[in-house]
Amino acid sequence: MDGIHDVGGEQGFGRVEPTGEEPPFEQDWEGRLVGIFRAIARPREAEWNADKFRFTREQLPPIEYLTRPYFDQWYRTYAAMLLGSGLVTAEELASGHSMQPLSPFQKPMSAADVTTARDVTERFDRHYAGEPRFAAGDRVRAVLRGQPGHTRLPRYVRGHVGVVVALHGAHVVPDENAQGRSIAEPLYTVAFALAELFLGRADSADKVHLDLWERYLERIETT
Amino acid sequence: MSAYDPKKAAQYHDEIHAHVPSEPALRVKALESLLVEKGLVDSGAIDAWVEIYRDQVGPKIGARVVARAWTDAAYKTRLLADGTAAIKELGIQGWAVGHLKVVENTDQFHNLVVCTLCSCYPIALLGLPPSWYKKEAYRSRAVREPRAVLAEFGVDLPDEVVVNVWDSTAELRYLVLPQRPEGTEGLADEDLAALVTRNSMIGAERELPAPARRG
Repeated sequence: MDGIHDVGGEQGFGRVEPTGEEPPFEQDWEGRLVGIFRAIARPREAEWNADKFRFTREQLPPIEYLTRPYFDQWYRTYAAMLLGSGLVTAEELASGHSMQPLSPFQKPMSAADVTTARDVTERFDRHYAGEPRFAAGDRVRAVLRGQPGHTRLPRYVRGHVGVVVALHGAHVVPDENAQGRSIAEPLYTVAFALAELFLGRADSADKVHLDLWERYLERIETT
Repeated sequence: MSAYDPKKAAQYHDEIHAHVPSEPALRVKALESLLVEKGLVDSGAIDAWVEIYRDQVGPKIGARVVARAWTDAAYKTRLLADGTAAIKELGIQGWAVGHLKVVENTDQFHNLVVCTLCSCYPIALLGLPPSWYKKEAYRSRAVREPRAVLAEFGVDLPDEVVVNVWDSTAELRYLVLPQRPEGTEGLADEDLAALVTRNSMIGAERELPAPARRG
């Protein structure tokens, strides 16, 4: 969606505040939330996945997105997903107690299960019967259109020309996955010159690389 | 159970805002007790995950990979060709490293990793991302003025070094392979790994300091 989260290239956010070593969690509740995120029995019916999580977070009211602490946004996102999937009510979230038992659909992960689960490496590439439209070296243009649902095509490259530097096979398309549809499509790494993306950078040789699905790209006709 | 309707997410966000406790710690406590009562989570599993991401998974893991690439040319070749397979050789697997791409700093190129749309990060290698990586200042500017951002990290990049920025828009995750500091010939992998910082593996640091000489 064309939302507040899409900050690449935006101006006015100020200086970066570098840190050296810092604890992963500033407060205990942040750790608990990450633990819940990893331990929860994922409701298969509701087809929860990372793209649904991202899409739900993107729909936080913009002022909340910019001002709420990072892990508090995770809380808000998870609460919205639980609510949206009909697993809990707002009253239950407030009280911390179940008022309506849930018919169990999956046994939750135990502490012993975590030992195995920690090494599970999820992959997102899938079999694809079609032929990729582009190859390394092709010049392509990122489509210039507003995006109604979830997408991973940032605004700062839309309409701009880049060069395909790699093809990674077919990966699950986030735009579809966020809606519970697992559809794979060729994924490419595309290099864009800073000089192409931003005015005032004409003398720059620096480049930005993005991983973009085929539907985000248009062929440039050579004359 | 009704199906999740993303169009209603904004409405859910408002509903939550109106109901839940105002303190984050209390909200999360209520969430955990509720999910336990619903049979959706086991508190023991949460404890185990907390321990993993608080005490076990962190930049030291990525540093081992870098040190190995510095001392073993054949390993480095495999690492650059297929990051996921190469780290698995060292027993490293898990969250967000299913499609790992390792990008190498050289005299000619410097690499910088960002996720402009959220906070994607190779967690099984580097742990959870640092605070600045998740904030809008870094996410917005890394792609537009990477040199100015690097300067704020104290990296003074010569004009002739080209910056390659990697915006993690898909499920590929990036690890920067920093250059080996001079004066480290003959050091064991373990001692080399101790020189590698988290920021250098994101690209926010370039020249790693050589080890202090033992007197």
